[in-house]
Amino acid sequence: MHHAISFSYRMRCYSHHSCEDCESEQQRYQRYSRIGTSSTFEEIVISKGPAVKRMNAKRKRPDTISDSVTEQERIVHEVIRSKQDMGISQQDMKREINLHSNLIAKCIKSLVSKNLIKEVKNIHSRRQKHYMSAEFEPSNEITGGAWYVEGSLDKEYINVLKEQCWRKIYGLKVATLEGIADAIKRSNVSQIELSKQQVEEIVKALVLDNEVMEVRSTGTGEFASIPVGKACYKCAGKRGYGGEPKLGALASIPCGVCPQISRCTPDGIISPITCEYYKKWLEF
Amino acid sequence: MVTQYGIKYAVNLITAHFGDLVAKVCECLLRKGPLTLQAIVRSTELTSSQVKNSLLVLIQHNCVQAFILDQTGEHGDGAKQSTQYIALFDNIIQRWRFPKFLTMVSKKLDKQCAELLEGLLQHGRLSLKQMFDRAKSGDDVVQEAFVKLLNAHFIERCPASEPVLTNPTKEEEAARKRAAKSGKILEVQETLEQRVVEAAMPTEALRFLFATETEPTADGGKDKSNSSSVTPGEKRKHDALESEAECGATDEQVVLWRANFDEFIWCLRHKACIENVRARFDDGAVIVFGAMLEATRSAEKKVKTENSVPLSLSSIYEEVIKSEEGRNITFDRVRASLVQLSCPPFVKAANESYSVDFKKIIELAQNEEVESIVLKRYGRDAYRMFRLLSNSGHLLETDKVADATFVEKKETPIILYKLWKDDYLQLEKLQIGVKQIPFQLWKVNKNTLKVHVLDEMFHAAFNLSQRVAFELEQEKELSNVLQDKRVNRLRKRLLLESSQMKLDDAIMLFHDF
Repeated sequence: MHHAISFSYRMRCYSHHSCEDCESEQQRYQRYSRIGTSSTFEEIVISKGPAVKRMNAKRKRPDTISDSVTEQERIVHEVIRSKQDMGISQQDMKREINLHSNLIAKCIKSLVSKNLIKEVKNIHSRRQKHYMSAEFEPSNEITGGAWYVEGSLDKEYINVLKEQCWRKIYGLKVATLEGIADAIKRSNVSQIELSKQQVEEIVKALVLDNEVMEVRSTGTGEFASIPVGKACYKCAGKRGYGGEPKLGALASIPCGVCPQISRCTPDGIISPITCEYYKKWLEF
Repeated sequence: MVTQYGIKYAVNLITAHFGDLVAKVCECLLRKGPLTLQAIVRSTELTSSQVKNSLLVLIQHNCVQAFILDQTGEHGDGAKQSTQYIALFDNIIQRWRFPKFLTMVSKKLDKQCAELLEGLLQHGRLSLKQMFDRAKSGDDVVQEAFVKLLNAHFIERCPASEPVLTNPTKEEEAARKRAAKSGKILEVQETLEQRVVEAAMPTEALRFLFATETEPTADGGKDKSNSSSVTPGEKRKHDALESEAECGATDEQVVLWRANFDEFIWCLRHKACIENVRARFDDGAVIVFGAMLEATRSAEKKVKTENSVPLSLSSIYEEVIKSEEGRNITFDRVRASLVQLSCPPFVKAANESYSVDFKKIIELAQNEEVESIVLKRYGRDAYRMFRLLSNSGHLLETDKVADATFVEKKETPIILYKLWKDDYLQLEKLQIGVKQIPFQLWKVNKNTLKVHVLDEMFHAAFNLSQRVAFELEQEKELSNVLQDKRVNRLRKRLLLESSQMKLDDAIMLFHDF
């Protein structure tokens, strides 16, 4: 038998700032009393001020919730759902809902167990728990995109892709992004098909590593098959992949890499005469 | 740009070569800018005689230039002329490079030329007669070496002893006011240093002229002004020479000559560019590049030339096949090498002509030097971030930096802060909305960074020289130790001295090229 749920009329529904539009408690109680008296396909009516939702008990549609959800859980779920694929942290929820944090936590636990919401990783705040309504997939902004796994950068995967891209460029001598993407696809380096944008991100990272340089096609010589002005890529320098760039003059002496250089003076505690880095450098 | 550690480094050089007194006067001028004799005396608290002698030494060795500042009164007062002295920072730091200059002359010319040059470097300036007196070989050998050095522009006539400078221009006044507000008095001094050097320099026609007939001295032949550019001992010789001149002897012997530092720096700049090309391209490209430099050298008007004069493909080919290593290179190979040299754009092509982009080569070399420091000091993630910001040339937000460099979002600001704290990056905060956390935007300012890195280089060079001095002291004290310890000491000194040479190349890259 269904029991009418009587709850405090003073609790405001979150979508209204005043309760002038809400039913009186008595009216609500009377409505609830009618629940369970209809046919097999029972209709459960839940008041949400002027907005009324109907849900078929037997065929749950994703945009309604079951009758086993409390009003507090419903409110919490609505807040989470409103954030769509961005989700929301427990801490931020507390700011939006006027409920005690323990109650929020309890609602969340219940909603998770009912598979109405799920916990997701947010790369911007890995320590805090982040929740999303079950029907959404987390956006790239919180997952970090294709390069993140479980909220952390998949460095191993990225490094493999970088080396493979470099090898394709090395083989092609001069390559456009399309050429590199094709070469990667044909060689099945990645089990996941990489988009052109992803290939571009990897190649640009190689440029930042000084493994590859970006040039513009002149349309002649080695660029003969590439339209004039198009961006293309060549391996930089004469060293192989992963080789260290040429060591500069300042970087090759202790002062160049010393984190204390600004505090070093001839007569100070840190000085070229007493310097430990110098001592190690000059040990033969 | 003269930085704080640049001054310490320069003063250290002067101390090592001329002692503490002379170094004190030099330091006073470097820190305070041009001063009169009385002002130097007041500032250093030395006697007038000590200051005069120190100035004579510094002028003799081309480290200080006297000049007369013509200050016409604003309200129609009579012109006020006072002799001031300005330290020539660029010339002071050349003193460290004398061994490089001698090596260059030995290779390009011959041993006699190197010996003659050595005398000029040791004594600062000499007349031809003094060169004859000093040399072990005969006068004709000396004269032949002298002419070779002069034709190669490795030596020049000494500048005027006290050129007159007019009032500062409006631009200089405005720059002085701005510098005074920001405390950058050293920038204003450099502009004045350049003006003084230019005013003192003989005309281009006279600078490398060796006439055998009688001719006046470089500064106009007045005894008074000559006395400021010769040491007391030389003045007696000068007087003797003058009396000889009255009896019909040549006045050429009273002309003073000195090493032309500009030419040496020019050669070293070209050498550095060739080494850069060698690091990136094959031998063919290096030969073609070298030929282009050779062909266009005489058309370059100043040391810091940005682009060479354009050359046609056939002119380049003709120059290439002149050299021994380029003799067998084909026309097509030259063309292919020029295409190679266009990326990165060391050589620019326009209207079937090719010119060397010196500015680009130097800039890339400077970038590599700074990036090497970032890599070694802060790690690979920082290296990528620095290169991203340096290449983009504008402000980038923290998350954008993280995404482009594949660094965890939480680690990125930590690395960026380290670079910012050590003045390798600039930071700006952008507040959107009252309650929002401000965005952090990062940027590399290449001009200020260049000055900062140069100061670090001077600091490191100063440290190296201190350490070398310390190791030499240790060697003296341990003169009786076992052979293997002495070998170790020698290895240390070699490592230190070769590091000094290499670091000086980097200083030239940032300061002189």
